Amino acid sequence: MFLTRSEYDRGVNTFSPEGRLFQVEYAIEAIKLGSTTLGIRTDQGVVLAVEKRVQSPLIESSSIEKIMEIDRHLGCAMSGLTADARTMIDHARVTAQNHSFTYDEKIKVESVTQAVCDLALRFGESVHDEDAMMSRPFGVALLIAGIDEVGPQLYHTDPSGTFVRYQAKAIGSGSEAAQAELQEKWYSQMTLQEANILAMRVLKQVMEEKLDQHNVQLAQVTPQKGFEILDETSLKAVIDQM
Amino acid sequence: MDHFPTNWGRPRNDAFDAYGTYPIAQRPYNGLKDAFAEGVQHTQQPIVTGTSVLAIKYKDGVMMAADNLASYGSLARFKDVQRLHPVGTNTVVGAGGDMSDFQYIQSLLDGLMIEEFTEQDGHSLGPAEIHEYLSQVMYGRRSQINPLWNALLVGGFKEGKRFLAYVDLLGTTYSASTLATGYGAYIAQPLLRKAVEGNEDKLTEEEAMQILEANLKVLYYRDARSLNKFQIAKITAAGVSITESKSMDTTWSFAEGIRGYGSQTQ
Amino acid sequence: MPDMVSIGQPQQRQFNPYSENGGTILAIAGANFSVIAGDTRQSEGYNIQTRYAPKVFRLTDKAVLAVNGFAADGSMFVKKVKQRLEWYRHAHAKDMPLRAIARLIQTMLYSRRFFPYYVYNILGGIEEDGSGAVYSFDPVGSYERESCRAAGAAQSLVQPFLDNQIYFKNQRPPPGTSNPTHLPLHEVLSLVIDSFTSATERHIEVGDGLEIFVVLAKGSTTQGLENFANVQEMTQTREGERMFNIRRNLKRD
Repeated sequence: MFLTRSEYDRGVNTFSPEGRLFQVEYAIEAIKLGSTTLGIRTDQGVVLAVEKRVQSPLIESSSIEKIMEIDRHLGCAMSGLTADARTMIDHARVTAQNHSFTYDEKIKVESVTQAVCDLALRFGESVHDEDAMMSRPFGVALLIAGIDEVGPQLYHTDPSGTFVRYQAKAIGSGSEAAQAELQEKWYSQMTLQEANILAMRVLKQVMEEKLDQHNVQLAQVTPQKGFEILDETSLKAVIDQM
Repeated sequence: MDHFPTNWGRPRNDAFDAYGTYPIAQRPYNGLKDAFAEGVQHTQQPIVTGTSVLAIKYKDGVMMAADNLASYGSLARFKDVQRLHPVGTNTVVGAGGDMSDFQYIQSLLDGLMIEEFTEQDGHSLGPAEIHEYLSQVMYGRRSQINPLWNALLVGGFKEGKRFLAYVDLLGTTYSASTLATGYGAYIAQPLLRKAVEGNEDKLTEEEAMQILEANLKVLYYRDARSLNKFQIAKITAAGVSITESKSMDTTWSFAEGIRGYGSQTQ
Repeated sequence: MPDMVSIGQPQQRQFNPYSENGGTILAIAGANFSVIAGDTRQSEGYNIQTRYAPKVFRLTDKAVLAVNGFAADGSMFVKKVKQRLEWYRHAHAKDMPLRAIARLIQTMLYSRRFFPYYVYNILGGIEEDGSGAVYSFDPVGSYERESCRAAGAAQSLVQPFLDNQIYFKNQRPPPGTSNPTHLPLHEVLSLVIDSFTSATERHIEVGDGLEIFVVLAKGSTTQGLENFANVQEMTQTREGERMFNIRRNLKRD
């Protein structure tokens, strides 16, 4: 494997003879270094949960932000190079605002996901007279949760610009175990509360530290209240029910 | 960051389309700039002009008529210009208004037809397409406040269907079974409608020719910028044919009896 | 005709990129239907350019747009709206809802704030909740949802008539009763036809032909529409809203 990729893994705009873009594949690898992030869709709404790695007791855990709002009906959780996600979420937010400005309606979850993915392949060299936007692929994957006229939805996007809709999805370092667990435990009649508890249980299994309300973050998108990040008291209530 | 995907990979320009929303129809211009742009004068008035064009639908297709005069103000400057221009094998464009702008339009259309021919893709532009193209050109130029100062009639026959439509310097378009530009719109149009409306499928070639010649004669008597030398084009299933220039017999002896024209003593 | 000019004083000529092409449009919303109509005469000054130039256009299965003012701007604007609807369908995998079309038209008009499309737009159709709706616009994009609106050459003749017959302005209901909030379809159609025959009588720019579009909400009955002459159904999908087109003659003088 190392032999074949040696010549073709430098440039971001050169395919290998086997038809692969190594830099994009490496970027997908970078996600696996990130903290575990997961999302669960139910008929009542969508849940997003992340592990916050608090590497030092001097870190203010509340300053680690891995779940963000895109619009009132859209949220997003990330894993990987989280700084890259800021660019993507910024674009998602502007796209969502622009949509409601132009069309007086909420943007669909799939449309905002597509808009974010349109950014993903804007790396590489610039053509004459054009500005290149990025030198390398994004190193982050997103779980985009939202509710529109179609109902609650959960999308996963990766650095290749591909997006897929899931009932439940885990990304990041513990994703393999977490995904297996989700596959086992998820069922279609799940309530939002059950999804919250399942999210915490799965995170607990893959986390090295002991899970508490300071080292995880939980958010949900519901038809009633839209996107909301659960505060520590509500989060603690969920953890206590585990 | 620029959040408009249509701008990606291009320099940003806020001076351009400041109120525009996604997707921006036009992109910032990165090409060469015309250093003398401010000194360029746009057409503010027509100079050498053609007068009316007439057109009617009849049984076999469409017939159009225009005289051969290009005036310089009140001077009958050029007396052998052709104002009916064949485009391909199914279409004729007739023009009133500025003759230099019309010549430019002819060169646009000739270029367009050559491009279309070289494609060799089995498509050929018919009268409807030519008219649509011309209306985009005319509307585009009026929107740059640099109009092509013409009123054009597009007549044609393709795939068993007659086509007759109008477009002018504002980009205004319409179609009807009788059309007339310039003074013809005032003088000939009512007569044409009376003769043609409801009879489009009955009028023979000879009748159509008679109607147009009668109207040209009325115009020649009343329009001081007209000439008794004209051509008539017909577009039928057989294609385009445009007559040689011809003229009609006219009578002016009655003028002697008109006060202020002839030699009256009082 | 060229103006007579007296020689002597200096004169400035400026190309005027606008014209007015006459005609009138009108739309009325019912509880579960919408009626959008326009005459088909196109004129400039005292000339009738053509007796048939449509001013009312079907946009989607449940939206119809009527455009009045400068005809060249009108046809270009409709063309661009249709293009945006197509792009929207590709981007979002659905037809644009009526209120989204209304907002889109506002942004499109306002983006030309300093070189406006000289057109008055009236948008009619069925809202997402199944109610009949009418939106009206000014040339630079101010808009609101209303029950009825007339625009164009005979606006000043037709709108007061509509205010009286639809909004019951200056009408006191018989004691113990109240004025209806929505009229049934057959009454609305009668009002539309009366509006245009009257406008044709009194306004030289109105006449020749009348084109009426009727949009019925999903699941509603035809409400007597089948009794009309020259009704043509233009519905494309069976299970959704239904759309009809009615053509009538108006006086040609």
